Amino acid sequence: MVKQEALVNGMPNVRFIHASRTMAGPIDVDRMIGPVIDGLLQPLTDKEKEAGLYNPQQSRIIFEGTMEEADVFFSQTRHVPKPLNAPISIYTDGLPIRLPTEERVKEMLKGTSHRPDEMITYQYPRMALFGEEMKKGDLVRFQPMKWTATVEKVATIAVMAGCKPADLPVVLAIAESGVPTGTTVYANLWTCVSGPIVKEIGMNAGLGMLGPGNPANSAIGRAYQLMAINLGGAVPGINRMSSIGSPINRAGLCFAEEVDGLPPGWKGLNEEHGFRKDENVVMVMWTEGGMDGAQFSPGGYRAFQKSGHGGIARRLGVKGKPGPHNFLDFILPGIWAGGREGPRTFIIVHEMAQHLYEMGYKSKNDVYKYIWEKGKEPLSAYRNRSWVDLTTNGWMGIDRQSGKPWKELPDDYMISVAGDNPDENCIIVCGSDEEVCVQMTGGPRSGLGANPFYRIDAWK
Amino acid sequence: MAEKDRVYKFLNPVGLQLPVKTYPLAPRLDKLDGKEIWFSITGEPDITIPFEKRLKADYPNVNWKVKKTYGPVQVPLSDEEMETADAVIQGVCW
Repeated sequence: MVKQEALVNGMPNVRFIHASRTMAGPIDVDRMIGPVIDGLLQPLTDKEKEAGLYNPQQSRIIFEGTMEEADVFFSQTRHVPKPLNAPISIYTDGLPIRLPTEERVKEMLKGTSHRPDEMITYQYPRMALFGEEMKKGDLVRFQPMKWTATVEKVATIAVMAGCKPADLPVVLAIAESGVPTGTTVYANLWTCVSGPIVKEIGMNAGLGMLGPGNPANSAIGRAYQLMAINLGGAVPGINRMSSIGSPINRAGLCFAEEVDGLPPGWKGLNEEHGFRKDENVVMVMWTEGGMDGAQFSPGGYRAFQKSGHGGIARRLGVKGKPGPHNFLDFILPGIWAGGREGPRTFIIVHEMAQHLYEMGYKSKNDVYKYIWEKGKEPLSAYRNRSWVDLTTNGWMGIDRQSGKPWKELPDDYMISVAGDNPDENCIIVCGSDEEVCVQMTGGPRSGLGANPFYRIDAWK
Repeated sequence: MAEKDRVYKFLNPVGLQLPVKTYPLAPRLDKLDGKEIWFSITGEPDITIPFEKRLKADYPNVNWKVKKTYGPVQVPLSDEEMETADAVIQGVCW
């Protein structure tokens, strides 16, 4: 990974030494300090003095043969040594693909007006990963190898994933994100589509939308992963180091929101983030910390809301009182208790959104404010969390909630663990009936996921 | 010709590597004493903090300068700093 990163940054012969994952820091320093000083003093080798141009060529056609032979070609694996020590597919996610013949890709390209040889570029100015400012027309660099791609390459991958031509603008919009693959932790890569295109291409925004069965959801989700593998060059154990991986990334995850029947005043994701109701956008999320859900039995939830019956009502002190009641009071205390601090994306069904509306939350923003307030805890407790040393830059930085330096804040200062601002949280309403709430770590205005909305219509 | 024997062309899904100009490493130092060496710290403070202390203790005649962040992206040296820097030890974490 170090060598690859060094190469694509023009320093293929950089001298480096790995730190230990297990040694105590001072002991590891004993081990490293000699080689580091040697690295400064030892004269350069002839190879280290080399300058040049790294310019690998590739052919537009990767294989020529029968379908059967191509099946074998695209099923190739490479052995990746420890800590993986297993074969990993070179071109696929491990499963067979729909073979990308020239004819099939040509057919796929009917889904967009963009030229096949057009490079994938940013369609609007935006902030990319780690706060990098991108201008319209800047090349998208696919992570982790910083490779680039044409529209035809994305269409090729859409064929491999099983997409239909009508899905292609969504896949191209996802491509504009550069399809990051996360870091060493529990990184989940997922996408959510908002706008009329959800119905036009037959996405499932209802029961089971996170699960299997719907061709558009499944194929578009898979296309993300195939782009990461092929356009980004992401290889587990080489440069994609999520420690034990995530099932969300195995076959990819794309779903859609269901805006029909939202409570009055509640907006869909597109409107909520500054787009028109008739604009199609896809939210491309990289969330680290996982996903959690179903904190109550749906039957228990119904009994709680209908008649104040059952355990939820007992815990919240509303036994015997008919709803609506605030189910968030049941789940919020547990969310940050053992889990990662930070905002959350809540996926709920319409009935639950309606209950919140009837409780007085006339917009999603009202709910976000409530969640944020409920997330407040003393700084003395906040200091004991895992990620805060990183997110506060070793407590050398400024607390964005108060605007004051961390080191000047008293122990009893109340800080919300639910993001720097209420609207870093997110609610996605889906069309199922059974009362379930799924929470994804992170939200669309937080951290690395800053500005994760991409315009699908720009790629039609 | 049977359909199973038909030969197709399959398109390449692999991303394009833009040409990268590669550079030689910077000349090495003939000695450490009196040199201005930057120690640029990213993440993993249980290693980088004792490392910084050890460098300063073992090589007191070096003019040590430090760039520090607990995040994964290093704080770059400015153009002015680059002009006087003799060497950089860069910590990198993912």
